[in-house]
Amino acid sequence: MKHHGSGSFCGRTRREFLWEAGGGFGAVGLSALLGDAFFARQAVAADGKSAYANPMTPRKPHTLPKARSVIYLFMYGGPSQVDTFDHKPKLYPLDGKTIAVKTFGRGGHKNVGRVVGPKWQFKPYGQSGKMVSDLFPHLGRCADDIAFVHSMYAESPIHGSGLLMMNSGRLLSGSPCLGSWVSYGLGSENENFPGFVVMLDKTGGPINGPKNWSCGYMPAAYQGVVIRADGTPIHDLDLPPGMSREAQRGLLDRLREKNEAHMAGHSDNSELAARIASYELAYRMQQHAPEAVDLSKESPTTRDLYGLDQPQTADFGRKCLLARRLVERGVRCIQIYSGGAHNDDNWDAHSDIVKNHTKHAGNTDKPIAGLIRDLKQRGLLDSTLIIWGGEFGRQPTAEYAQGTGRDHNAYGFTMWLAGGGIPGGVSLGQTDEMGNFAVEDRLHVRRIHATVLHQLGLDPNKLSFFHGGLDQRLVGVEGAEPIDQLIA
Amino acid sequence: MGLRATTLALALGNALSLTAAEAPDALIGQVQPLLRQHCFKCHGEGEKLKAGLRLTSRAALLKGGDSGPAVNLAEPAKSQLLAMISYRDDRHQMPPSGKLPQGQIEILTRWVMAGAPWPEGDQPPAPAPTTRTTGGKVTAESRQYWAYQPLRRPPIPPVRNSAWVRTPVDAFILSKLEAAGLAPAPAAAKLALIRRVTYDLTGLPPSPEEVDAFVNDANPAAYEKVVDRLLLSPHYGEKWGRHWLDLVRYAETNGYERDGPKPFAWRYRDYVIKSFNTDKPFDRFLREQLAGDELARQWEPSSERTDAELADAVIATGYLRLGVWDDEPADPLQARYEEYDDIVATTAQVFLAMTVNCARCHDHKIDPITQADYYKLVAFFRDVPRYSNSRNVSSGSNLTDISPRALRAQYEAALKARERRTAEVAREMERIEDAAIKKMPAEDQRAAEGIDRPQVVAKLGKFFTPEQSAAYAKLKAEREALGKVPAPPQRELALSVNRCEVNPPQQHVLIRGNAHAPGAPVQPGYPEVLGVPAPVLTPAGPGAQSSGRRTVLADWMSSPAHSLTPRVWANRLWQFHFGRGIVASANDFGKFGTLPTHPELLDWLASELVQPTWRVGPQDRDAAAWRAKRMHRLLLLSSVYRMSAQADAAALARDASNQWLSRFPMRRLTAEELRDSLLMVSGRLNLKAGGPSIHPPIPREVLAGQSVPGQGWPTTTGTEADRRSVYVHVKRSLLVPILSQHDMADTDSSCAVRYTTVVPTQSLGMLNGTFANEMARAMAERLQREHPGEIARQVRRAIRLTTGRDPTPGEVSKDLAFLEMATGRPGASALEALRQYCLLTLNTNEFVYLE
Repeated sequence: MKHHGSGSFCGRTRREFLWEAGGGFGAVGLSALLGDAFFARQAVAADGKSAYANPMTPRKPHTLPKARSVIYLFMYGGPSQVDTFDHKPKLYPLDGKTIAVKTFGRGGHKNVGRVVGPKWQFKPYGQSGKMVSDLFPHLGRCADDIAFVHSMYAESPIHGSGLLMMNSGRLLSGSPCLGSWVSYGLGSENENFPGFVVMLDKTGGPINGPKNWSCGYMPAAYQGVVIRADGTPIHDLDLPPGMSREAQRGLLDRLREKNEAHMAGHSDNSELAARIASYELAYRMQQHAPEAVDLSKESPTTRDLYGLDQPQTADFGRKCLLARRLVERGVRCIQIYSGGAHNDDNWDAHSDIVKNHTKHAGNTDKPIAGLIRDLKQRGLLDSTLIIWGGEFGRQPTAEYAQGTGRDHNAYGFTMWLAGGGIPGGVSLGQTDEMGNFAVEDRLHVRRIHATVLHQLGLDPNKLSFFHGGLDQRLVGVEGAEPIDQLIA
Repeated sequence: MGLRATTLALALGNALSLTAAEAPDALIGQVQPLLRQHCFKCHGEGEKLKAGLRLTSRAALLKGGDSGPAVNLAEPAKSQLLAMISYRDDRHQMPPSGKLPQGQIEILTRWVMAGAPWPEGDQPPAPAPTTRTTGGKVTAESRQYWAYQPLRRPPIPPVRNSAWVRTPVDAFILSKLEAAGLAPAPAAAKLALIRRVTYDLTGLPPSPEEVDAFVNDANPAAYEKVVDRLLLSPHYGEKWGRHWLDLVRYAETNGYERDGPKPFAWRYRDYVIKSFNTDKPFDRFLREQLAGDELARQWEPSSERTDAELADAVIATGYLRLGVWDDEPADPLQARYEEYDDIVATTAQVFLAMTVNCARCHDHKIDPITQADYYKLVAFFRDVPRYSNSRNVSSGSNLTDISPRALRAQYEAALKARERRTAEVAREMERIEDAAIKKMPAEDQRAAEGIDRPQVVAKLGKFFTPEQSAAYAKLKAEREALGKVPAPPQRELALSVNRCEVNPPQQHVLIRGNAHAPGAPVQPGYPEVLGVPAPVLTPAGPGAQSSGRRTVLADWMSSPAHSLTPRVWANRLWQFHFGRGIVASANDFGKFGTLPTHPELLDWLASELVQPTWRVGPQDRDAAAWRAKRMHRLLLLSSVYRMSAQADAAALARDASNQWLSRFPMRRLTAEELRDSLLMVSGRLNLKAGGPSIHPPIPREVLAGQSVPGQGWPTTTGTEADRRSVYVHVKRSLLVPILSQHDMADTDSSCAVRYTTVVPTQSLGMLNGTFANEMARAMAERLQREHPGEIARQVRRAIRLTTGRDPTPGEVSKDLAFLEMATGRPGASALEALRQYCLLTLNTNEFVYLE
């Protein structure tokens, strides 16, 4: 997207340009129209300090970006690392034995626990020989494209604060989440679609609900927009009953006449022009957004790749396929939740790990593998960063006297990244032999955030937003570096 | 943070066998590469320095960082460095990337025990470049900063065009305009003015009849009459109360997983509205919010204080309870300090425009606020107990009985005894239940931790021992008996602080803000830079129910001689009328904020706030102090406020950002004003005031974002749903779309200035959204009702309702052409066409913007 220098359009002032453009807004993109100084009247932003800029103007990254888009696959509830990607051979024979082990989960701090041996076998895949559990036969075959991080740790083993930490870098409610920071840092490349979208599980949203895609103290423009992979993609996109597209066009034409007449005495108020333009954009979103989510033209091969024709994988498959289509259309940040609501509707396997993980891995394995392959064959994987992980992992021991349920574990867990300039076939960090505690190359959640921003060309320690007297950052006041081993 | 002897063995491992004769050189040779490899990235000479600690010289490591020396030569085994590398618990873990191999830990341990020998030629590190030099220190120079200077009333400046000056405000503005070679814009048209002032004072549009009355009133005092009428309107408090609610992060739920409701939070909202409507002096308003519980106890014996006054003072302390609250924190002690931080950050920003919160972990980076200053403020609030000690959103700590004294006297003693016994019985029953639950299958144990516990408890019978069964049955019977005693009639509760600590624990500076790392002890005190004497604190007397510290703080903050409180409030009064504060960063008068554009005006207004002169006779000067309504008149009757919003070429060239106020700044309606105006124009607005909040319908697609869609949102139906937006329930994790899309205040921290964003999703909502279309339909029905069959009159009425003005003939004919076209479309009834036309008028910039 071309970024005009501030101050003039082809030698005319902004105001003259708008004036002359008159009825022609529909043909000119908002991003081209709205330079940094566009909102001249509101000379300062809400902090009373920063210059006011159109929130969605595309902005130059700090450095040459490796990735253009992020797809964040959020395994809500917390998948068990020892049953998925963190192979712990010594844990199998301990099944049922009570051992000394320090854990901290929903049930509090404990010093002993009954081991639940991993319930799946692992086998090596690809050239890297990466050991992957039998839960993921499809993803296993993508192992050479994936960088596994086995030494993640977080600050809270509780869903509410854990989700906030994973999404916004803080345990406390009120800060913008990753997608908001990306939108704020880079603006939007696609004016027909929001820059940060979220797809939810059909059982419901995650705990905390919309706080997980909130923009906190930033302007509302940066909050995530929930979209659906079937039906009307965006809320309020459908025409109201009784309104035809033609009738709406008539309404918008008359509205523009009225608004232009009103603007006559207020040529200095650029918000008025922006609001006129926003109606044309809304009109075009109605046209383009349904096309973006229309999967009917995808080939049978593609549909099969994502598992669209099997009941178990169809739902998550549609979301993954839609994610690819949005990446193609320049959407910056796409977050897809696997699992919703409470208990076994998500990965929160407190009672029966086999039943729970069989279901959720089964729903997602093929679609995620399909996404990686599809992006790769289209040459998009290099510029699309995929992140996989929950808000924490799970303990090697049972939560209750009976059953195979595991409690939450923020001491150590696995996340993985693929594409977006991240090397594949890599395994980084280690947990102890129990798979309980990250011991080697321990990485805080913020390091993942820093890595994502870095790959997008943003300096995690420089990207800041002034609020409450502080230059706030996604990586916190202390800052965080991207994971060196992954940013080669 | 001392290292206890018990952890020593852990840290040292087999290193205890170290020999005193080990050659220092060999150790030095082994240690230096380890430090370089594992520590220097954050504790080296580089730009990045963590915890203020450098390990690049022996002097530096003995000096240490934020948490003290890294190596303790007197007791080497207790050195922090050893504690850190031992990874002994969650808070002592260095390097963060993972515990060092045992062999390396042993090398470092031997080295520390040997007195941390260092290579020859060790020099103390050169002072590193740091950005902290300007902040955090109180110096003679930092005391000179404008905001900390005592308030002095400046003279009213002379101006050339003295005829333009209506109130002293005008002279201050005009003198700057004249200095910049600018002339003020001409007076606004009467229509623009009445729309402007009606929205500013009530948040609602003037009715066409009110517009006509004003426009046709030739009396020179016509405008003054309008202002006085609006200031007496009950809707004034609804509009200005909302400004205050923005500042104090008002929300009615706690946030996090359950996002449970704050009980009776609406009483605080009503208290704020009432306080504005009754023109409560700001000093009292401040005192009540910080220490109303203490005031109420002081007032209790006095027959001169009404029951309503007592209740209001207690309700006001809801202020201290409005923040987010995590009911299952991963680190409960740290979470306590999040609660204090919420209070300190909000209080310092809202009343003093000081970002004291930036000094929680270290001295302020730029303002002269030390970390000790922060914890001295925390100490004032240490008697406030945790919001609740269980997941229960209602607790004895956050609720207070505010019933009239005579009523309370009838039941209080018996009630307290019964409540105590009920709680005991519940605890005892839970203990027996918990013991039995442990014998149940995992699914049941899991369920017992959540809302399904009653179902699990119902199945418990067979897991009890006979003794447990008997004890449980007896307790159950007692509980039922206790429950049968009816609650005292008309008893009323309020969200508040209660059961405070009479003798709060000693407060310490927390090193790097870590609740587990107490540093030097501090007493309650004021920021040092303000140069005021330390507070005199008297120990709580017999029968005290709180520490009394908050009263001391509130008295100091509300002193008319305070250098900040009057300036900060005067600045906000200005901001909410003129769109931008004299200090634009209204929550931050510090160096990260902006300088005042009109410093003399600010000081004059602040002086006038606390020592009234304008149009006040000497006899009521005291009574008029700190009152907002007199200040509103002072501002609203000025020529500045009455200027046109139209800019001429000179103004645009020389005052593009309008910082000198060469014209009146236009503004968009706020989120609440927009929703309320849609309701009003459509004829649906229900002006009922006060009481529990309403839950207007939220579309299913939006509810789907909740983990339990619809939970905590019992949709209000009928005309109740059409009440003003200030009465809409503020649920932190679920916002009403039309309000959140139009930049309502953030619910989690103080919002001093609203954003104005313009994005297409707003337009989608206003074109296609259920609410906008419902309003358009109601408006169409209203027009048909008012002018049946007369389409041209319907059009004219629609324009008057949405803009206040009479339409031009050309405009009407074009709108009629639109209607004709709409009616001509297949399937379109006259009502549907008119509905579309109404939707069009509700989307116009003229409806949504004020000039």
